[in-house]
Amino acid sequence: MKQSRWQQATYRHPYLFALLLLAVAFTVNALLQPNLLEPTTLNSNMRVFLPLILVAVGQAIVMIGGGIDISVGSIVSVTNAILATQIGLSGDLSTAGVIMGVALLAGMGAGALNGLCVAYLRLQPIITTFATSFIYSGLALFILPNPGGGVPSRLTAFYRETIILWLPLAFYVIALILLIWAAIRRTRYGRYLYAVGGKADAAYETGVPVRAVQFSTYVISGFMAALGGIAMTLLTGSGNAQVGDPLTLSSITAAVIGGTPLSGGAGGVAGPMIGAIILGLIRNIISFANVATWWQTFVNAAIIVLALATPGIINLVRRRNR
Amino acid sequence: MNRRHFALFAIALMTAALIAACGGAPTTTAPTAAPAPQPTTAPAPGGRKFTIGISNPFISSEYRTQMIQSLIEVNKEYMERGITNELVIESADTDVAGQIQQLQNLINKGVDAILVNPSDVSGLNDTLQEAINKGIIVISVDQELNTPGVYNVGIDQKEWAKISARWLAEKLGGQGNIVLIEGFPGHPANVARMEGVEEVLKEYPNIKVLGRETGKWDEATGQQVMSNFLASFPNLDGYWTQDGMAIGAMQAVMAANPSKWPVLVGEGRCQFLQLWDQRLKEDPNFETIAVANPPGVSPTGLRIAVNMLMGKQVDKSKLGGANGLSFVIPIPIIVTKDNFQEVFTTVCKDKPATYLLDGIMTDEEVQQFFVK
Repeated sequence: MKQSRWQQATYRHPYLFALLLLAVAFTVNALLQPNLLEPTTLNSNMRVFLPLILVAVGQAIVMIGGGIDISVGSIVSVTNAILATQIGLSGDLSTAGVIMGVALLAGMGAGALNGLCVAYLRLQPIITTFATSFIYSGLALFILPNPGGGVPSRLTAFYRETIILWLPLAFYVIALILLIWAAIRRTRYGRYLYAVGGKADAAYETGVPVRAVQFSTYVISGFMAALGGIAMTLLTGSGNAQVGDPLTLSSITAAVIGGTPLSGGAGGVAGPMIGAIILGLIRNIISFANVATWWQTFVNAAIIVLALATPGIINLVRRRNR
Repeated sequence: MNRRHFALFAIALMTAALIAACGGAPTTTAPTAAPAPQPTTAPAPGGRKFTIGISNPFISSEYRTQMIQSLIEVNKEYMERGITNELVIESADTDVAGQIQQLQNLINKGVDAILVNPSDVSGLNDTLQEAINKGIIVISVDQELNTPGVYNVGIDQKEWAKISARWLAEKLGGQGNIVLIEGFPGHPANVARMEGVEEVLKEYPNIKVLGRETGKWDEATGQQVMSNFLASFPNLDGYWTQDGMAIGAMQAVMAANPSKWPVLVGEGRCQFLQLWDQRLKEDPNFETIAVANPPGVSPTGLRIAVNMLMGKQVDKSKLGGANGLSFVIPIPIIVTKDNFQEVFTTVCKDKPATYLLDGIMTDEEVQQFFVK
C-alpha cells in the first residue's frame, strides 16, 4: 500500500521529492547559519537565486514539451548586454522600462528562432539550441565587447533591497509565476503541452497542434531567460557578455532535481524553482560547514549527484521490495 | 532482499559521508567564522583576533592554486603571533552570481576583511559596498577594481607587458615582422597589457604586426595559435605573448623547428625555464625573457589587510591607480640571459614545473605603505 502511495504521490506531484530535499537542505543550512531566517539574510540569498529560478522555469516548460534548450544562458547574456549598454548607469526609469520591454521581446525572438528550427524544420533540439547558443553569445559579445555599462543604482537597490511584509521580492515573483502556471495548466494549452511531450505522434493523431505547441515552449523559454537576464542585471548592476553561460547547465539540473524528466510529458514548474533554490542552498551549506578549500567543488558536485540519484534509488528499493 | 538492503546501506553511507564531510570539517579546520570572536588568553595588539575572508571564483589555474596556498602560509605567521584566526576561504569555479553569494556568506560570517579576486569589473560593486558599509575592509587582489572604498593590491599590468615588449623590440633591432598572442579580450588585465604593448610598438615604426589572435590564457590554445602563425608566416622575425600561453607557443616553435627561430617572449614559470634550458643545449646563443606575474600579490594584500586592521594609517601618497586606492606591487623577478642560470638552478630547483616565479613582500616591506 505504502509504496504505491509514494509512487502515486510523486506522479501527481512531481515536486514532492524536491520539496523533501528542500526541507533537508534548508534545515541543514539553518543549523549551520542561524541567521538564515532573518529577512535581510533570506533576501540576500533569494536575490542571488532568482535569476536561475526564472531560467529554470522556462527550461522546465521546454522539457515538459519534450525538448531541451541549451541556449538559455546565452539569451540571459544578450539581455544583460542590451540592458547594460542601452540603459546605462545614469539612465532614467522610463527608458529603463522601455529597454526591459525590448529585452523581453529579444528573448522571445531568440526563442522563436529556436522554436522555428525545432518545431517546423524538425531539427534535433539539443544540437539546434547548442548551435543557436553561439549565435546569441556572439550577439552579446557584439553588443558589449568589453565588460562595462550598467543600470542605475536606484534600479539595483529596488531589486536588491525590496522586502514586503518580511518576505523578499523574489517570493512575490515566485508566487506570481505559480499562479500563472496554475491557470495555464487548466487551459486546453496546458493539456496539449503534456500530450505533446508525452507522445507527440499520438497527440498529433488526436488533433493536437503539435508544432505550434513545441514552438510556443521555446518562445516561453526565451521569455523566461530574458526575465532571468533582467534579474541578473539588476543583481550585478553591470554588463558582462558572458554572465549567463553557467546558467544553462544549472537550469537543466534544477529542472531534473525538481522532478522534470528529460523524456518529457511530466513535471511542473514548482519543482524546478525548488531545484534552483536547492542548488543555491547547497553552496551555502558548503560555505558554512567550513569544507576544506580543495574539497569544496567535489562536495558540491557529490551532493548534486546524490540529489539527482535519490529518486531513482528510492524507486529501485521499492521495486525490489514488491 | 540483500540487494535492497545494500541499496539502503549505500544511501545511508553516502549521506553519512557527506554529512561528515560538511559537518565534521569545523573540528579539523579550527573554529573560524564566529560572528564575535572571543578575546583569547593571549590578546592580539588590537584586543581581539581578526578574521580574514577570501573570495576566489576560478580554481582551474596554477596561479590561483599557488595564490591560495601562499595565503594560507602567510596567515599562519599571523596566527602564531596571535593576530588572526584561520582564514575563511570561499574558493570554487563559479559565476558572478556565485561570487556575490561567496561575498554575502563572508559578510554573514562576520569577517573583518575580505580579499577578493574579482570575476567581473563592476558586477560585484553593490555587494562590496554592502561589506564596506558594515565596516569590513575590502581589498581586490591581482585585478584592479575602480570601486569607491575598495583597495587594490597588484602589479601594474601595463608596465608588466611593456618590459617584455620593449625587450622584444630592441632584440629585433627595431625592425621585423611579428605576431601577437593575447589573453581573453575584454578582460581588464589583458586590456591593460595590450595597451602597454601598443604603446611600446608605436616607438618602433619599422616593426610590423602581421597578426594578432587570442590564446585564451591557455597553453594548448597558445600552441595551436602559434602553429597556425608559423604555417602562415614562414619568415616570422618574432612574437609577443603573455603568461599561460608562452609555454605552448614555444612548444609550437620547437615542433616546427624553423631554420631561423623567431625572437620570442616567455613567461615566469619553471616549466618555461626548462624549455629555455633545453633550447640552450641546442643553441647556446638562444635568448628570451620571462617576467614574473606573481600570485604573491594576494598574500602581500593579506599583510596589508592585517596592518590596516591593526589600526595603522595608510599613507595615501604612496597609492596609485584609477581611484588612488591601489597598492602597486613591484615585479619581483625578470629573467634574462644574465640571470637565467642562477634562477633556474636555485628558484626552480625543488619546485614543480607548474611553479610560477613569485615574490611575497615581508611584513616589514609593506610598512612602506603606512604612515610611520
